Amino acid sequence: MTGEHAFQKYRITKESFRLLVDSLMGELRVVGPVSEGGQIFFHEISSAEELQMNYPSTMEPPSKTFFYRPQEELLIFERGKNISVKEIPPLEEKILALGVHPCDMHAILYLDKVFHEDPYYMARRDNTILVALNCTEVSEHCFCSSVGTGPHLKVEAGYDMLLTDVGEFYLAEPKTERGAALTQGVRPARVDELLLKDEEEKQLLKDIQKQIDVKGLDACFLENIGHPVWARTSDERCLSCGNCVMVCPTCFCHDVVDETEMSLKTTRRLRRWDTCQDLHFAGVHGGNFRRTRAARLRQFVTHKLDYTPQFGATGTVGCGRCIRWCPTAIDLTEMAKEIQRSPLK
Amino acid sequence: MNNLLTPVKAAILDIKDETPDVRTYTIGADAEKFKNFQPGQFNMVGAPGVGEAPISLSSLVEDGGSFQHTIRSVGRVTQYLEKFKRGDEIFIRGPYGRPWPIEAARGGDLLLVGGGLGLAPLRPVVHAVLKERKSFGGVTLAYGARDPLNIICGDEFSHWQESIQILLTVDEVPKGTEWAHATGLVTELLDETKIKPAEATAFICGPEIMMRFVARRLLLEGISPARLYVSLERRMKCGIGQCGHCQHGSAFVCKDGPVFLYREISRFPDGLL
Ligand SMILES: Cc1cc2nc3c(=O)[nH]c(=O)nc-3n(C[C@H](O)[C@H](O)[C@H](O)COP(=O)(O)OP(=O)(O)OC[C@H]3O[C@@H](n4cnc5c(N)ncnc54)[C@H](O)[C@@H]3O)c2cc1C
Ligand code: SF4
Repeated sequence: MTGEHAFQKYRITKESFRLLVDSLMGELRVVGPVSEGGQIFFHEISSAEELQMNYPSTMEPPSKTFFYRPQEELLIFERGKNISVKEIPPLEEKILALGVHPCDMHAILYLDKVFHEDPYYMARRDNTILVALNCTEVSEHCFCSSVGTGPHLKVEAGYDMLLTDVGEFYLAEPKTERGAALTQGVRPARVDELLLKDEEEKQLLKDIQKQIDVKGLDACFLENIGHPVWARTSDERCLSCGNCVMVCPTCFCHDVVDETEMSLKTTRRLRRWDTCQDLHFAGVHGGNFRRTRAARLRQFVTHKLDYTPQFGATGTVGCGRCIRWCPTAIDLTEMAKEIQRSPLK
Repeated sequence: MNNLLTPVKAAILDIKDETPDVRTYTIGADAEKFKNFQPGQFNMVGAPGVGEAPISLSSLVEDGGSFQHTIRSVGRVTQYLEKFKRGDEIFIRGPYGRPWPIEAARGGDLLLVGGGLGLAPLRPVVHAVLKERKSFGGVTLAYGARDPLNIICGDEFSHWQESIQILLTVDEVPKGTEWAHATGLVTELLDETKIKPAEATAFICGPEIMMRFVARRLLLEGISPARLYVSLERRMKCGIGQCGHCQHGSAFVCKDGPVFLYREISRFPDGLL
């Protein structure tokens, strides 16, 4: 997946891009942002005309749409004379994924660290050509610039090509041979064209409203386990609905469940998304480590803004989905800022 | 790429009743896979259609490759396993987790403190000590159970006592039950150990609230925080740091633990340490 050498940068007109996408349609499933009922989803397309490349954010993050599915079959037990266990081979399905935003690309890199030994996740990862797309607009919920994940993508590996919309055309930066193959027949970008990208980024950075200083938050949270913001916010507003976790591009927690057929002949063992907001999540015999809603909300917020030691990256990518989709608009950055403003003595 | 969640078949070679709801199962499985199973580590043990639960190694691995699990029936998986008989097959995967640092404890005094079923993961430590008794200094096992009926490994104590100090206590003695040892908290037993905490290594396993009191007391008595270990229990679905259930602060209890230095985790929220 990683490119060994630096690739050329190209200029590709939007019309050529559409033609390119259409020409790939037979070989691969092409999935990209499309508009449906006023929302944007990553769906399979049959023509590049359907793409809505200039989109704000999706509800379901691409890390989950493409790689970490809501449910995954892990094993099948078959009961004959004896019980045998059968592994399910991962699907070998080639996909071209178009238009993944920088924050969402970082979320994929985060989940790579969690699931790098999982055959299902990794097979999808290997079989998906990822075309990332720098943002052209920011929403009121975005705080990517505070956590170094956007609005332009700075990492060089883990995806195949990066597109930047500079108005009349895209700057296309292949990062792998697979990505470079997509740029055949287009001309390299001139230096003055490359500079347009920096202009775009400067403008976007000015538009970002939401900021948070994550430096030192890990220690700060440990000193403020009992801060009133946790109980107040959870008592007054949190519904424990788990929306925040479901839309989060980095939330990886899941349950493992067995489902047995009526015939009792086969049992399927599945992985299924779970949420730390559920009361049962941390229950054990004789107790529950997060019985209070405050503890569960704190778990989500600290796991996102802290816990760098887990995978060497913060749990949040600053996409703002948990804020956008919380029915009561709970904002993790506001909670952290309240603690920073008035920490416990 | 292997599916790390695929369990292997294992045979139940023997079952021993410990208490009304605790049994020790002798397990025979792929010897190659489990030959490095260390005290403090655990397996995910289960049955198709029922699920899996993390269960500690409660013996050393025998030369033939068999080992033991001591299980209390408390829920879905463990109550199902209770019905199993000798010769039945279960599905297991492992070993997982960070073991007790027995090597590091060598050469010095060792204090083992168990509460309830928390003795199960300490039992193989006792066995390891007995095997090479001379390479350890003073060794004390302090063990507390709810009542005399709920003591596990009781039939081994007299043998152990020939080589190490055993201190026992129970919370209560029901009428008509004989009990020649202490009643009260495990912490009170520590008054009687011949070991000086300031020079010892301690391994503690039991209910978290008990580990809290024992750990704090040992710290007051001067034990080095670099030699004070506890073993934690959390809900676990995968055992390999993916399902997220066992997260305690930034630690995954399944792969960063279950054995931790007390100081590594005592500041985290949502625990009783
Ligand atoms: C590292 C480690 C080692 C362990 N070693 C041992 C050992 O050696 N021996 C041993 O007996 N145990 C051991 N345990 C504990 C054992 O894994 C748990 O008791 C496990 O939950 C048993 O699984 P189960 O399916 O039987 O119970 P579960 O069905 O998971 O039930 C366990 C408890 O949780 C409650 N519960 C169940 N479902 C829910 C829910 N959805 N929400 C809230 N509460 C619920 C039940 O009422 C019950 O009290 C260990 C645990 C860990 C983490
Ligand atoms: S989405 Fe909002 S209300 Fe729902 S669990 Fe998350 S923080 Fe609570």
